[in-house]
Amino acid sequence: MKRFFQSLLAKYMFLILLALFIVQISYLIIALFVFGISKNGEDPIQMQDMLVESEIEGKWHQEANALQNVTSESIQQHFDNWKQQHPKASMFWVDGQGTLANQEDVMEQLPAKWSSAYTAKFIKEHYGGDPFTVIAFVGQEESNGFVVLEMPRSEFDPPLAHIYDRYGIIFVFGIVFIIFLFILVSFLFFRSIRKRLLHLQEAMEIRDVDGLPIEIALKKKDEIGQLEKTFNQMVCELRESKQREQQEEQLRRELIANLSHDLRTPLTKVRAQTYSIAKESLSEDGQKAIKSLEASVVNIDRLMENLMSYTLLMASKYKFESQEMDVLRYIRESLALWYPVFEKEGFEVEVHLVPFEQNKWEIDPIWLGSIVDNLLQNVLRHAKKGGYICVKTESTNLYDAIVILDRGNGMKNASNEAGAGIGLSIVDMMVKGMKLDWDIESGEKGTTIKIKKYK
Amino acid sequence: MVHILYIEDEIDIGSWVRKDLTERGYEVTWLKSGEDAEKYISQVDMAILDVMIPGLDGFSIGRRMKKEKGDLPILMLSARTAVEDKIEGLNFADDYLTKPFHPDELAARVEVLLRRYQKNDDVLKLQHLMVYTKDMRIADQETDEEIQLTGKQYQLLQFFVRHLNQILTKEQLYEGVWGERYIEGDKTLMVHIRYLRERIERNPAKPTIIETIRGIGYRVKI
Repeated sequence: MKRFFQSLLAKYMFLILLALFIVQISYLIIALFVFGISKNGEDPIQMQDMLVESEIEGKWHQEANALQNVTSESIQQHFDNWKQQHPKASMFWVDGQGTLANQEDVMEQLPAKWSSAYTAKFIKEHYGGDPFTVIAFVGQEESNGFVVLEMPRSEFDPPLAHIYDRYGIIFVFGIVFIIFLFILVSFLFFRSIRKRLLHLQEAMEIRDVDGLPIEIALKKKDEIGQLEKTFNQMVCELRESKQREQQEEQLRRELIANLSHDLRTPLTKVRAQTYSIAKESLSEDGQKAIKSLEASVVNIDRLMENLMSYTLLMASKYKFESQEMDVLRYIRESLALWYPVFEKEGFEVEVHLVPFEQNKWEIDPIWLGSIVDNLLQNVLRHAKKGGYICVKTESTNLYDAIVILDRGNGMKNASNEAGAGIGLSIVDMMVKGMKLDWDIESGEKGTTIKIKKYK
Repeated sequence: MVHILYIEDEIDIGSWVRKDLTERGYEVTWLKSGEDAEKYISQVDMAILDVMIPGLDGFSIGRRMKKEKGDLPILMLSARTAVEDKIEGLNFADDYLTKPFHPDELAARVEVLLRRYQKNDDVLKLQHLMVYTKDMRIADQETDEEIQLTGKQYQLLQFFVRHLNQILTKEQLYEGVWGERYIEGDKTLMVHIRYLRERIERNPAKPTIIETIRGIGYRVKI
């Protein structure tokens, strides 16, 4: 129940009820107002004396018939009495001879002599019209002539009509005011809802450094408040799940790192022993065996490294942190490290790195390093026969590329040293991960690899 | 004699490395854990640390050593090859070598580090040149005359000597010697290298001491 009263629905219902209540109250106020006016006697028209045509008519007949002494004075006396009660009334007397004798406030032109025809015409014209007209014979006999009472019809309007006449504008303004008040309150009500919804939307769009939304401060406990609460819950769950994911990632990384460490330690021992044996005086076969052992150690080491990278990459757990960097500078520095190795193996090394229009690429240096290492290692191991490596740049309208080419036997006739497959898979994943592209052309006269960045 | 502190818990690897380095003319103190390492800090010229050792790990020991003696070259020698580990190591250490390694590579890296920190009291012989690394004097061995260099030429040669056998790119050289960012197309470096060659090379048109590695950079090799 408490929750219901905190809801927006309850608030709006309250608003509607209040509006209805105000309308009712306003009727009551009008009634009281009217009542108050009549009580205060400010208005001569009294509620209890509300005029009714039939009553006036009866009274006029009664009083006219009751007149005993029919003289001009007594008639005038009678008229004066009526005039006092009904100031807007007009009256006249046509005596037994058809002469217009007395008249009181008569506006219209009346003939001095009343023929029976004129009388009939008068009656016909005034019947049911405005002013309200009553014709009564004076005294008990028709010979005394008749008295005519004329009153404007508006005198018989109900008192409310009179109040409307006087206070109408106030009423209209009052009603307009109430309507506007209702609209204003509704407007404020919905505006505040709208404002909060917009605020909520904005708050939902803000992202923390870790890319997750930020919790929202709860203000009210209504429907929007509940929405905010749910949103916060969601953020909390997201955060927890991200944390779990990070923990898992950490565990996985640790596991792989430890595994790799545990494998490398005995490998190092193998190498140590091999090295020690190599120092002994050995037969030619023995030396060959040692060389082959050493090569295998290097090979296992490399395979392990690749396997580790591959596993992490496959699980999308390999950290990717791109930054804008000078790609040619990076390549040149990598080549500086590789140069002595190629030199030692008797390779001819050619490097032509011509600046691109845009040397800054959005890349992860560690990933690019892995790519270059893998590709150069492949050249070193599989294209030894060609004895040549060239690293150069290539620019076309479509792309900028770094080209690595050798004069080996090509991929199909790859040397018997295995392990190139996983290395190239890593290169493929990393190249695509950095939104670059690459292609390999491999023939019997060599292999050309291009790492391309489309313009 | 250069004194190297070596911490490694694997007996086979430890004894092998100690033997090899001793044969190469270094005095090696080999510890199986980092417990007593601090005692040796003041005596040694360099430290080679494994990461996974009993007790305090190699990273923590290395960090402590570096804090205590900033000019002590530290080389991490670990079977942990993950990039994160290398990055953590290189935060304080000067080099990071992964197992399995070739002893020649270890020796080369030790040499480079010692030279960078000028722990070697060697007189470096570069073809006909004698370079006295401690007081940075250069003499022509054959004529026994001292070669005078300008400030920048001297710094350039010093930079090469500290990175012997390493190929240095234009950017690395410029930024190492001038301490400013290299701008593509800047000829300052080339001009200085030409002057330096005129001073030290027998035939500056065919330089043999400062090699040009086409497309990559320059190298001074012993």
